[in-house]
Amino acid sequence: MSFEPKIVGFLCNWCSYTGADLAGTARIKYAPNIRTVRVMCSGRIEPVFVIKALYEGADGVLIAGCHPGDCHYQEGNYKALRRYKLLKAILPEYGVEPERIRLEWVAASEGDRFAKIVNEFTEQVRKLGPLEIKKSLYESMKDDAVRHEEPIGKNGENLDEA
Amino acid sequence: MKRIEIDPITRLEGHGKITIFLNDDGNVENAYLQIPELRGFEKFVEGLPVEEIPRVVPRICGV
Amino acid sequence: MKLKLGIYWGAACGGCDVAILDTHEKILDIADKVDIFLWPCAMDFKYDDVKKMKDGYLDAALYSGAIRNSENEEIALLLRRKSKIMIAVGSCAHIGGIPGLANCYTRDEVLKRVYIESESTINEEGIIPEEAWSNDDESLELPRFYNTVKTLDQVVDVDYYLPGCPPVPMQIFSALSLIWNNKLPEKGSIIGAGEKALCDECPRKKDEKRISELKRIHEVIPDSEKCFLEQGIICLGPVTRSGCGARCINSGVACRGCYGPVEDVIDQGTKMISALASVIEAKEETEIERIMDSIPDPLRTFYRFSIPASILRRKKV
Repeated sequence: MSFEPKIVGFLCNWCSYTGADLAGTARIKYAPNIRTVRVMCSGRIEPVFVIKALYEGADGVLIAGCHPGDCHYQEGNYKALRRYKLLKAILPEYGVEPERIRLEWVAASEGDRFAKIVNEFTEQVRKLGPLEIKKSLYESMKDDAVRHEEPIGKNGENLDEA
Repeated sequence: MKRIEIDPITRLEGHGKITIFLNDDGNVENAYLQIPELRGFEKFVEGLPVEEIPRVVPRICGV
Repeated sequence: MKLKLGIYWGAACGGCDVAILDTHEKILDIADKVDIFLWPCAMDFKYDDVKKMKDGYLDAALYSGAIRNSENEEIALLLRRKSKIMIAVGSCAHIGGIPGLANCYTRDEVLKRVYIESESTINEEGIIPEEAWSNDDESLELPRFYNTVKTLDQVVDVDYYLPGCPPVPMQIFSALSLIWNNKLPEKGSIIGAGEKALCDECPRKKDEKRISELKRIHEVIPDSEKCFLEQGIICLGPVTRSGCGARCINSGVACRGCYGPVEDVIDQGTKMISALASVIEAKEETEIERIMDSIPDPLRTFYRFSIPASILRRKKV
């Protein structure tokens, strides 16, 4: 059974979520690996959401916002772009491939574009393989254990006193 | 052999333990000083911007 | 009745212990109210003395330093058993501190660099210290060097945190006085620090933040009155807890976040990314890339003291 990546998609309410919705109503097929989260603006996406998604098991994170100049709140998508660039800079230092996160502009009318992006991104993440941060953290900490346990008696009785 | 352990050594900066082995006459056969600590500054300062080093390496010793 | 205290250092530098002594003449007040039963920096008690105590005998244990090897963790567990409350003192115990920077490397990389590769080391046989050694009559052991640095609350239940690198001495005194006056806040609180961000304490003039360039501190002659961020110099003030009196700012350098993240923030570095991105003005993609590329070491700048406490905890291996 081939690996099915888990993708988390943060979509802005006004453009990209509507675009994704359009793909649905127009019956355009796209990879079912993406789990979408609707936010009011791509500028709402704190970098910590992306890191937490990756930590909790996502293999890739997609951020989709309005095209530059079209943000419902004027400048939110520019903030998202800047945060995205900084995240791309720190992920490799954490040992995570920067290709696992992606920022795209999707307009409300671009249902087919949304489907195309999701399909491409899903294949890209499939090639990268599972991320499994918690598993590798557990592996790297496996031997980090104490060597001498203090003897504790019944009901937490202090055996050294005896 | 009788074993005497002084753990930790005190009133200095850092961790240390002294283990003394006495022979059957009660004289010191061997004494060992061990330093059970290491943080690895030599490794993790690699790659830090040079202007940050003077703010990182004082944390080697706060005494 | 005097308070019974135990003070210990893990992977520490001693700065937090010296900060206790830096309370100057107030140390006499401390000595009046407190009996110390473990303090390797300043007193001769041994681990065996602590092991012989009844559980919960000590009123409080002050633990500074990160958990770097098995001995640090063992003594943390021991002190947790033997004292009623456990206080994480300093950045290392709170969020990992400077030793936490080693989480960008593995145990083997660190040991190899220290004992074999470093330029001033002569070690022709290539000996790396081992955990145990013995011959017919004698045996010795060393603690296990962990692969990952941990914070204190990742190994034991911590009651209170006293942040800072080191914590301001008078804040340590106020925190101790909370204990002997029985006025401790709810469990898990940060004591000896403010709730707002450092910007609240900072003496510099703050105007509107619109940054078009980021500069390293040696690339400009900074204006000594103006906010560092406004001049394009990265300062972690907006995401760092106040309480230190802005001592770095008053010395002419930008904040690096030693007091840990502000209230309700777990991951200090990503919050700084968020804050920085909000005040940089550039809108065009290549311009944004150029500015972000000018930051020389983003991970260890945004997470100088807090890698072990961050969500990802260490570089993935």
